[in-house]
Amino acid sequence: MSLDTAVRCTEMLLAFAFLQQSAEHLCVPGERRLFLPRIALSLLLMAGFAAPWMCLALLLHALFILQRFDGPYNGGSDRMGLLILSCLCVVHFMPSPRAREAAFGYLALQVLLSYFIAGWVKITNPDWRTGRASRDVLLFSAYPVSESLRAGADWPRSVCLASWAVMLFELFFPLALLSPRALVFGLTLAALFHFVNACLFGLNRFFWFWLAAYPSLLWLQQRLGAGQ
Amino acid sequence: MLHGLKLLLPALIPSWRFFDTIAPSPRIEYALLHDPHAVAVWQEFRPRPARLSFGQMLLRMVWNPRWNESLYLVSCAERLMANPTAHSEREIIERIKAEYADASAPWLQFRLVFVSRQGEGTRKDITFTSPVYRREAV
Repeated sequence: MSLDTAVRCTEMLLAFAFLQQSAEHLCVPGERRLFLPRIALSLLLMAGFAAPWMCLALLLHALFILQRFDGPYNGGSDRMGLLILSCLCVVHFMPSPRAREAAFGYLALQVLLSYFIAGWVKITNPDWRTGRASRDVLLFSAYPVSESLRAGADWPRSVCLASWAVMLFELFFPLALLSPRALVFGLTLAALFHFVNACLFGLNRFFWFWLAAYPSLLWLQQRLGAGQ
Repeated sequence: MLHGLKLLLPALIPSWRFFDTIAPSPRIEYALLHDPHAVAVWQEFRPRPARLSFGQMLLRMVWNPRWNESLYLVSCAERLMANPTAHSEREIIERIKAEYADASAPWLQFRLVFVSRQGEGTRKDITFTSPVYRREAV
């Protein structure tokens, strides 16, 4: 995948993620005016109209949204969206091809780290290794989307097994870069992981924003392979 | 704009420490009052449904405004405890007011209850109780 193709794919996926997110805000009367410009800019970005300027305008507009909510509205997913947008801006406005590649490579590196660090902080915590932390998530955290899911905490062995599956997947995710086939497998597994999180914990925005960052990994894998 | 840039920085150098520890989790409880001095009868704000079908979960992949707003209010509750600002308090009370726009009670109040693990069960601690707000003034 060439840099230009990967950047274009990222723009389209990011525009979709912003559209999905902004549409949700249209339900709140006081937030409509704030998100209508994001919808317009995202539609133009999706259509490929003056993409560098749309990215820049979206980034500037994002500063107003951050200010309105005194930080990200939905933590990690908003931050991933902003990271992608910032990297796209650098890619578009850097004159040298090296710098453009470095900016897009930085995005890919952060995607790898988002899994690896999340796995590392869990595996170094005894509560995660015994499955206790996962049971706590089910038992009392704000995330389970229904009360019936809380009953999952009564299945300690299954929960512990699921904890280990998540930790090992997150820790070993960077190895997916070793071959194109491994990367497609890793990304499919990662998308499935976000899909399950969206179903169980209502984190739908994570799914769309992480998906938008995957073209950077597909490009990096090929770029590293070509450089050997 | 400068404040916006400051808020952007953690997105550029993220920490990605998702769920490193499972901290006490906030619930928002509200009371609708007919008299500012009346004893509050607390109810959980937006309790989660008993169950959700797979179809409902699938629909929420593309349309999940209420739940995402509830997660935002969780952030506001956590911010209110870690670094109290009028912003977080206002965000919570405004949404309670909007949710019960048709209620006749002219006064509103909310409190934060943090749930955490205790032994094999859970415990609840009330960590914050808001002033009583006149609905019209919110």
